[in-house]
Amino acid sequence: MARAVAFVHLRGEVSDARHAKVLEALSRLLPKVGVEGPGLFACDLRGTERLLGPAERVGERIVATLERVKIPCAVGIAERPFAARVAAERAPAGGVVRIRPGEERAFLAMLPLSALPLDEESRDELALLGIRTVGAFADLDSGAVLDRFGRAVALTHALARGQDAGEVRGTPPKRRIAARRAWDTPVAAREQLLFILKSLLDGMAAELAQEGIAALRIDARFEREDAPPLRIERVVLPPTSDASALLRSVRWGLEEVPGADGIGQVVGARVEVTEVEPARGRQIGLFAPDGANEDEAMAVARYLRSRLGPDAVVRARVSDADAALAEREAEWEEAVS
Amino acid sequence: MAAAAALAEAIASLDVRFGARTVTAVTAAAERAEQRRSFTDTSFDRISGGIGPGEIVALTGEGTCGKVTLALRAVAGAQRDGGMAMWIDPARSFDALAAQRSGVDLACVIVVRPRSRDEILLAAGAGLRGDGFRMVVVDLGPSFAQIASPDALSSVVPRVRGSTAALVVVSDAPAMRISLPTFVFERAGWESRHGRTTGWSVAVRRVGDARSDHALLKAAV
Repeated sequence: MARAVAFVHLRGEVSDARHAKVLEALSRLLPKVGVEGPGLFACDLRGTERLLGPAERVGERIVATLERVKIPCAVGIAERPFAARVAAERAPAGGVVRIRPGEERAFLAMLPLSALPLDEESRDELALLGIRTVGAFADLDSGAVLDRFGRAVALTHALARGQDAGEVRGTPPKRRIAARRAWDTPVAAREQLLFILKSLLDGMAAELAQEGIAALRIDARFEREDAPPLRIERVVLPPTSDASALLRSVRWGLEEVPGADGIGQVVGARVEVTEVEPARGRQIGLFAPDGANEDEAMAVARYLRSRLGPDAVVRARVSDADAALAEREAEWEEAVS
Repeated sequence: MAAAAALAEAIASLDVRFGARTVTAVTAAAERAEQRRSFTDTSFDRISGGIGPGEIVALTGEGTCGKVTLALRAVAGAQRDGGMAMWIDPARSFDALAAQRSGVDLACVIVVRPRSRDEILLAAGAGLRGDGFRMVVVDLGPSFAQIASPDALSSVVPRVRGSTAALVVVSDAPAMRISLPTFVFERAGWESRHGRTTGWSVAVRRVGDARSDHALLKAAV
């Protein structure tokens, strides 16, 4: 299959949950799915013909897949993303519109100018020039459009001519990385519980590293024999895929549990990474191989700031070394904002 | 392979129980500890051998005898190759200008101002747990303003072992109930030049040092 893009346009209410569900379903079906907006997805169909059949067939499969989860949609397929998008937006629910290669310009020509992403001022100016359809706009000379309207309108002009070269930027669906463990003998000591969690988090850290992502938020739930489940939600700063940093964060969370020992009789644990970020390489201190991890130091500062309140975690700066009063020599600022 | 996996698992479990880097190769540990010792560039280094990661040092003695100045020099030494330091300051007496004059990079010092004994322990514990700091200093302040004695740090002491940070405790009075490697500061005499008093000298000795070796520091007024 030559280059082909399928746009999926959801109909009806588009909630976050429905959006996520569709992204997950499409990502299972196709190799490269991008999010273009709420309820609007772009799917790159290159290389899928042998496995999934011709583009129309893929479109039908998308509609059928989403119908099974009761989400109505329309699919537009074209060689160029913009034409596919317009086709999807204008197709009836459950419909698949295929624009043949080379027919994009003709398909767009009959549409009103409102189909193009033009600002109001430019649209009015074009209307004054008697240009009211995409076709009439496409017929204008590219150089003249650039001269008169500037770069943004010139790019829209390329869209009208079916010359957009937009690539589908893949958006992976939200990954659910979680681990669960249960045991028969209740654990009442924090250190013992952390020992168990270490092996749980090791596996999750390996998954995160494999995906090239870092955990930003983790949610730990502990089933207890003598009390309702204990839930700890932690924001991990800086985001990390390092098991010991994740364990440290959970440890701090457990230390905040009120009570003498606090954790009760724990018989099971479930830890889930609820928010991730692309993993970024850690800046290594050139001359400080160990113990000079500023990110880590700032994470500790943030933690202490959250526990001790404002004005408790600060940095000093000498403002006037010759000040007559000692208190004017230095300025203090919060170490973390 | 199975033996290697079992060894890795055993090391990981020890790390969890006793802190990061509890188990390290002997040569690597010795080399790293040696590389990362902090020096004050005073004769104190001769009797202390520097302050290494995972070590505790208590500096005690009456007021204005140079404990804080020496602690600041130690922080400057810890920062020499880019480390961060935490200064726990319940008495709110951290002197930024004195720190700067001692060579401390203030941008790399987090000053924590706890209001209670529990908050001191929380801050010290947090500073020692991660690998963000090279040195954690707990300046308990003058005895009349102390909200915790050095003995209150007993729960933090086990965390120092295996930490990438050193713990320096500055206090007027030594710990009575816990055993800390302690250096006592005592005024040795006045310093004068051309018949005028210019400062005083302070003798620093390690508590329990049979050789009664001491460092002599000079303070200018």
